[in-house]
Amino acid sequence: MSAGAEHPILDPALAPPFPVAALSVLRNPQLRKNVAHAIDVIQAKRARLVAEKADWQELRTAAAAIRDHVLENLGAYLEQFEERCTAAGGVVHWAADAAEARRIILELLREDKADEVIKIKTMTSAEIQLNPFLEAAGVLTYETDLAEIILQLGEGEPSHIVVPALHVNRSQVREIFARRMGIENLADDPKVLTAAARNYLRRKFLEVPTAISGANFLIAETGAVAVVESEGNGRMCLTLPRTMITLAGIEKVLPRFADLEVMLQVLARSATGERMNPYTSLWTGVTPGDGPQKFHVVLLDNGRSSILKGKTERQTLRCIRCAACMNTCPVYRQTGGHAYGSVYPGPIGAILTPQLMQMQHAQSLPFASSLCGACYEVCPVKINIPEVLIDLRAQVTDKQRNTFGRLFDPMYLGMRVANVVFSRAWLFHAAQWMGRIGLRFFTRRDGWIHSLPSMGRKWTQTRDMRGLPKQTFHAWWDERSKEAR
Amino acid sequence: MSIATVSRKQILNRVRAATRNSTAAEAASSYATLPRSYVGRGLMNLEECVDRMAERLREYDAEVVECAPNELAEAIRAQLAANGRRKFVVPEGLPAEWLAEGFEWKIDHDLPAQEVEQVEGVMTACFCGVAESGTIVLHHSTMEGRRVITLLPDWHLCILRASQIVETLPEYFVRCEKPPRLVTWISGPSATADIEMTRIKGVHGPRILNVILARDEGSES
Amino acid sequence: MRASLFITCYNDTLFPETGRAVVSLLERLGVEVEFRARQTCCGQMHANTGFRGEAFSQAKRFVRLYADAETVVTPSSSCVAMIRDQYPGLFEELGDEALRREFTAVLPRVYELSEFLIDRLGVEDVGAYFPHRVTYHASCHGLRALHLGERPFRLLAKVRGLELVPLENLDRCCGFGGTFSVKNGEVSSAMLTVKLEDVLATRAEFCTALDNSCLMHLGGAMHRQYAGMKTIHMAQILASTQVHPAEVLG
Repeated sequence: MSAGAEHPILDPALAPPFPVAALSVLRNPQLRKNVAHAIDVIQAKRARLVAEKADWQELRTAAAAIRDHVLENLGAYLEQFEERCTAAGGVVHWAADAAEARRIILELLREDKADEVIKIKTMTSAEIQLNPFLEAAGVLTYETDLAEIILQLGEGEPSHIVVPALHVNRSQVREIFARRMGIENLADDPKVLTAAARNYLRRKFLEVPTAISGANFLIAETGAVAVVESEGNGRMCLTLPRTMITLAGIEKVLPRFADLEVMLQVLARSATGERMNPYTSLWTGVTPGDGPQKFHVVLLDNGRSSILKGKTERQTLRCIRCAACMNTCPVYRQTGGHAYGSVYPGPIGAILTPQLMQMQHAQSLPFASSLCGACYEVCPVKINIPEVLIDLRAQVTDKQRNTFGRLFDPMYLGMRVANVVFSRAWLFHAAQWMGRIGLRFFTRRDGWIHSLPSMGRKWTQTRDMRGLPKQTFHAWWDERSKEAR
Repeated sequence: MSIATVSRKQILNRVRAATRNSTAAEAASSYATLPRSYVGRGLMNLEECVDRMAERLREYDAEVVECAPNELAEAIRAQLAANGRRKFVVPEGLPAEWLAEGFEWKIDHDLPAQEVEQVEGVMTACFCGVAESGTIVLHHSTMEGRRVITLLPDWHLCILRASQIVETLPEYFVRCEKPPRLVTWISGPSATADIEMTRIKGVHGPRILNVILARDEGSES
Repeated sequence: MRASLFITCYNDTLFPETGRAVVSLLERLGVEVEFRARQTCCGQMHANTGFRGEAFSQAKRFVRLYADAETVVTPSSSCVAMIRDQYPGLFEELGDEALRREFTAVLPRVYELSEFLIDRLGVEDVGAYFPHRVTYHASCHGLRALHLGERPFRLLAKVRGLELVPLENLDRCCGFGGTFSVKNGEVSSAMLTVKLEDVLATRAEFCTALDNSCLMHLGGAMHRQYAGMKTIHMAQILASTQVHPAEVLG
């Protein structure tokens, strides 16, 4: 646990652009192998279980509709959640941004005189960079999810929202545990490593009186919170401590308890390829004698309310963090999560991250996609990710139109010229003719181009390109028409 | 009481400005028209559900033993005897005849966690079983107990009656007359696949689940 | 039956043989083919690279040009996907009601080639002869945007002499993605390598598809690596007969 360290790799404001970040990953065969193996496994499991579910498409339709309905009526549902949660003994706080969320949580910890906390994995806390902030304030944080322990002890960064350490292989885990847990002769068998983690955590669960969690769902009807997990560390953290603090994005609301009948069915199959994950817990406020007697919910905006505004963009907030999109993404398969420079990587990250940053940062992410549409096909809440990507690309480009730098960007200039060229057939034909003449210099005797300058170099570094044919199709057609007469 | 009222107001204002700005009643009204064409009630009869539930539980490596409803106490005694454990914690509301002779029973009257840690196993009833996913649902009533007692011990004996089993998850929600305050849905032992996607069972929570399925299909639950 | 050929900007410039094949094929099937000389581009490249305003003007040109066409046939699934998936939003945003109505009227008359053959002409056996071992690559737009499904397979099944070898991981993107191939050239190349492994493993002589964009990307790498396989647009296979075998280039 590094005191005061920020997460420069995964801070969208500081991370290198995707094409640059991807480069170092592409040269790392071990990481690429780890990523491809992991997502191929989950993908296959997901596909099998979706195939057996006859009403899968109907579930997706219902899930998308429920989420859209919540977003459209979010104000009413947030107020209802707050009222019911408060009536049940919880305390609801509102954080406009990451800094405020961190402050509120630290204040609550100070109130409790807590100098250590146990945590259930939550990407939301990584989003607000909570751990380094708490560490700097003298509060020790203990991640309890196996993947998060691997990352915390190994000082690594999450690369996936469901399986955050999928880029780490067993011998790397063995090395981290042996060193940080001080265990000699530790085998790299996953069973042994998991047992080591279990023992390491047992005391913490029983002794640390304050816990921090995220939420998969907030139920407006009752003020309840639902946490979906596999390991049981969640159950430990939300049952044993005295005080529970739950951090949740405002979009996590569901209208009614019964809506879980849809969401739980699609979440488990999409996230881990199971009919149902091992443990799902739901609690409502405070229950005397059972579980934490002090319960706080910190509702986080941090840019979500501005995403609500956009007609196309709003669907981004339907997301239930299943990661099916990144498991199916052919780009993610090659680069893993770190290249995205955000705790939310992959297709959802490419649209969520820049929007959470009000489009000020992570501007390369909307372009980190071939628009193949596989993500949209698997998304349980039918987010049309390609549609949002295209929209965000337009937003980024519109920003560029006002900058001086655009005059030096060959892509920008090329696009502007191409648009003029496409506006008149004679301009188009003239440009084709000029292109043919110009590219003659680069065309070898076999009629192919092996190397191009500027942007073209990105093509020819791995591919040849056919030289422009002497006769365009339209010229052939004209000739044929003349001959016919 | 609402905290941080300035941010609260700001967030809600932003949210309302970006959306329909509806009242709770308006929200409820459009909620009623949401599309729900997914499967609600399943096609399996109770017999098939019971078989499916047992099959799924066994896929999770749970040991499933069936018995007639009037043989339940004896089946419990046999299960307890067979597995070599002696010291168990139980919720307050279990029938006395379930607490077989020859074992040490700690009734959970708000036992501290350290004491719950000391037992070798726990026995409870449950609220419902969902056959499609092999899920056991606990509502933590007096027959199911506080959450800690089904969490810390390594061995959980769960008594499930056939009449408690439904096929689909939506059917479970129909069974809830009103939303429960506390729920734990258990579908298999705890597991992780965080290391190279290798599935390891039994991380935190009971590593062993035994289920006694009392075949009371004839009666209503 | 009259079909107005929308050749697409890149086919006109780089793959005129595909256009020739479409003409030859359709005329053989008794379709009267016309070619509107004023056509240029559908606007996809601009729309997908963030140049939305520019895409508007190209979309307008397209609709005005084809407003009175009986049918429009295009040997490119990605361009048809642009027209079907993105034009509606563009025209709504433009706010010109008359133009939007003109577009709505044209839309059902726009066909990708395999759609035109199977759905409009109702024909699977186009009388083709192509005695080669071939594998089919399902481009993402054809697969997921147009839901072409079985159509290309049904057409290929009726080509005499053709041995079709299935492609593993058929639904995995080849990595072209338009300007993605240049803006994220390295990742695109990594995806290409993975795809090429599957394509070359079929030991086919030809890799075919309904989009020259994917084929340009795959074929460019095949040529660079002396891979011993070539790419060919399906139109050229379907146009191929014993008397007039397909134009195979490169």
